[in-house]
Amino acid sequence: MNLQRMLVERIESRILVGTVSFLLIMVLVGWIAINEGGRMQAFERQYTARSIERGAGMFATYCSECHGLDGRGLTGIAPGLDSPFLFGHDFLAEANLETDTLTAERDAAGTTDARKAEIETRLSELVTERQAISTSLQTAVDRGYNPEEPSRLVNVGWGSTLYTFVFTTLVHGRPVSESYWPRAMPAWSQTAGGSLRDDQLNDLVTFILNWDKGEDWTVEDANAVNQYPIEPSASGAALENAVGVDTPTETIVAELVNYVGDPNNGQSLYNGSLACAGCHLAGIVAPPMAGTWTRVETERLADPLLAGYTGEQYLAESIIHSAAYIAPNYQNLMPANFGARLSYQDLADLVAFLETQE
Amino acid sequence: MSVLPFPSFLDDVKEKGLRRALYEGINSVVERFTAGMNVQDLREALRGDPPSRKPNPRLQPHADGFWLHMRPSYFHKSVTGLYPEFRLGWLSTYFVFFETITGIFLMVWYTPSPQVAYANMLAIMANVPLGQFMRDLHRLGAEAMVLIVTLHMLRTFLTASYKKPREFTWFSGIMLLVFTMVLSFSGYLLPWDQLALWAVTIGASMVEAAPPEVVGTNLNLLLRGGPEIGANGLLRFYLLHVLALPALLFVFLGVHYYKVVIHAHSLPPKEENIGEDTAKRVPLDKRVYFIPDVLTSEIMWIGVTSLILIILVTWFFHAPLESHADPQVTPLGTTAPWYFLWVQGALKLGDKVFWGIIFPTLYVVVLAVVPYVDTAPSRRWAHRRFQLTFAFGMIAMTVILSYMGLSEFGVVTSADSEIINEMVKEPAHNHMGHIRPVPYDELRSGMYTTRQFEAGMGEEAEVVAAFNEEIENGEQATAATTLVGFLEATHHLPVTSLNFTPLPDDGGELYHVLEEFGMAIEARPNELPNAWGGVIITDVQDGLKRIDVMIVWNDYVNENGRPILNENGQPTLVRDAEGNPVWRINNNHIFIHENSQYFSAPGT
Repeated sequence: MNLQRMLVERIESRILVGTVSFLLIMVLVGWIAINEGGRMQAFERQYTARSIERGAGMFATYCSECHGLDGRGLTGIAPGLDSPFLFGHDFLAEANLETDTLTAERDAAGTTDARKAEIETRLSELVTERQAISTSLQTAVDRGYNPEEPSRLVNVGWGSTLYTFVFTTLVHGRPVSESYWPRAMPAWSQTAGGSLRDDQLNDLVTFILNWDKGEDWTVEDANAVNQYPIEPSASGAALENAVGVDTPTETIVAELVNYVGDPNNGQSLYNGSLACAGCHLAGIVAPPMAGTWTRVETERLADPLLAGYTGEQYLAESIIHSAAYIAPNYQNLMPANFGARLSYQDLADLVAFLETQE
Repeated sequence: MSVLPFPSFLDDVKEKGLRRALYEGINSVVERFTAGMNVQDLREALRGDPPSRKPNPRLQPHADGFWLHMRPSYFHKSVTGLYPEFRLGWLSTYFVFFETITGIFLMVWYTPSPQVAYANMLAIMANVPLGQFMRDLHRLGAEAMVLIVTLHMLRTFLTASYKKPREFTWFSGIMLLVFTMVLSFSGYLLPWDQLALWAVTIGASMVEAAPPEVVGTNLNLLLRGGPEIGANGLLRFYLLHVLALPALLFVFLGVHYYKVVIHAHSLPPKEENIGEDTAKRVPLDKRVYFIPDVLTSEIMWIGVTSLILIILVTWFFHAPLESHADPQVTPLGTTAPWYFLWVQGALKLGDKVFWGIIFPTLYVVVLAVVPYVDTAPSRRWAHRRFQLTFAFGMIAMTVILSYMGLSEFGVVTSADSEIINEMVKEPAHNHMGHIRPVPYDELRSGMYTTRQFEAGMGEEAEVVAAFNEEIENGEQATAATTLVGFLEATHHLPVTSLNFTPLPDDGGELYHVLEEFGMAIEARPNELPNAWGGVIITDVQDGLKRIDVMIVWNDYVNENGRPILNENGQPTLVRDAEGNPVWRINNNHIFIHENSQYFSAPGT
């Protein structure tokens, strides 16, 4: 053993070992470099997968309360995201394309009469097919879907990608407004005063976009969505026989006697277009729906502030002039515009429905 | 003759012929490059022959050249071998340059801001060719450097090379060790992942303990740039890492090496008389010249060491990258980097000020003053029994304290949290929850319970059916109702009832993981009385599953989380008004995507 010396004793051997080492380094680095493309792709794929996992965790924690655990939305609260509408899938695309092609061929000069007749037959078949598709989508249509305008991005006139649409929505949230959602979507980004970092928003978006089925969306998927987005422009026309935002409670009560309320219609207003259920749900944001009438009779009317009120009067006032009396332990968050959105009949229906909630 | 006042190259050619003129031209260029050695000299040197002309041309580069003037022209034969130095000092220097080069590469791709630092890491991994390679090398080099520098110090101590006249060389070496460790540690924060954030949070909070309070608080503020580590803190650590510390390191490296050269390498103790230092007086027959001997040797070692590092990062080592830093999420079992584990261990002994600040400072001070205290002339082992005992005492203490620094030691976590964490833990410290590496296609949706292992072979179906019956209307009914409500309300898992199915033993990973889960619960009967574990797998999206891992057990009377045992050695159960045991639940869930590669992909 000659460990006392330089481990590799002879200079020639050292040159050999050194040269071989450098050559091996070059071979190894070359080999790594050749494989870099594949490795980088694999890392990207793995990272995206883990990003989806983290996004799923956050979705369950932060988003599922409104958008549903399955991402299909909750009626009257928030739209579905696991939805062909968000990804712009057009169920009528095939039929439309064929119709357009055939119409162009029919109208073109030089098409023989025989061919024209053939085309007409096929076109009428296509009308039936389109109708069949639309009919099969009836459940979705009832929930706000329009097969003729199947893309959310097109409808809102979004000029960029779906990714940025979802990301931006997460950053800023969505406001409450007349004829829009009853409950605001908060701004989630820290830059907009929310709680999530940009990388977390990225994770959420990759998770949401992972619902995309590409060409494989089915009618069942569309019908399984509980709620489609509200298009702010679609409604909001002034009601002709509205109660009026400024009408005094006494006038309302006096007028209301002339109407007979229908609890069923009241219920569908409550859960549907007025979306009262969005807030009056679990008793966190607003008093829960269950037991409303009992509470009115036993607790509210016992409050000295409401001395002389009847139950109906209290309910009508709470709906039209929500700020007149705030239930203890809650804040005044209720929109003040129901006076403009309800007719006396609607109001009577709602009150009748609430009287059934014991 | 040409018009020039001196002979041109053409004149040379005319006079000597093309070949000779060219050779001489090249020779003079080479001689200027090497600062004194011509082609012939180089060939002789590389062949290992003695120089053929005088004065020795191999000394010329040391006299005239800039780079080699820093190196001695010859060494004593006894210090060029493996013993006594093991090349540790040389290796440390190698790593300084190695880290600088790989570090500059990474710097090109890095921005010290919490908004983008982590994204930069991802970009380095996913978009920069050889990015991961460089990052792995830089990280591995950093860890290796800490180790090598420490061993260098240890070797110097064992051969007593710190003795007169090398006291200050030792002191500057201790400073270099400190800088190396702080450099390595300051680099820890830069990826801005969970590992970074929490290791540095621990480190910085130690600084806070420095007495008196006004000093500690302000030092901590200066270092973190605010009450919490954020943009300012990251920038400060970055500047420390790439500017301040390297500058200090290079200055001290210069001082250290100047001292090494001026005093020469100390000889092995047995080759000198006691109290002598003959390193500077090397007899002619003991001289090993830098050119060619030491130089070829060093270049060879550069090749060999780099090759070893590259082999390691190709197949065996990858720099960790955990999830994005999140001050709101404290990972279970956070530890300092391994070279600071001894401080973390010491902290568990008690007072933060003493064990976190005074003790480590004292440790360094004791090391620094060694040569000024141990002034006895002999460097031989037989005469240094106390010093060697002291050294091994310090080593033993450091190892024990490091062991105590591990998260397993002395940190009380409740059994249920610990077991569930072992199942679902995110990859960290080269370790991850047992469920993650289960192949994706084995994760069939369903509900599974550890109760099935209470049966003998082949009876799983009956036992699980009986257990389902118990859940339906037997003694587990209350537990099951609470569990379902808990899963739905707290964990957002849409289940309405429990119905477990037996998992077949088909040699699959999931079966083994469930079995391990059951054994882990069984191993803690006092902390988890009458416990059972459940695993619920549900589909979330195409290619994405959710896995809930839960433990249900009877509550018991406890003190600081530890059960108070009755005379039978069993925990006393807490009972409700009707005398039934109270059930407690813990659950955690993770999501697994099919491309997540916690397991190795098929075909790789």
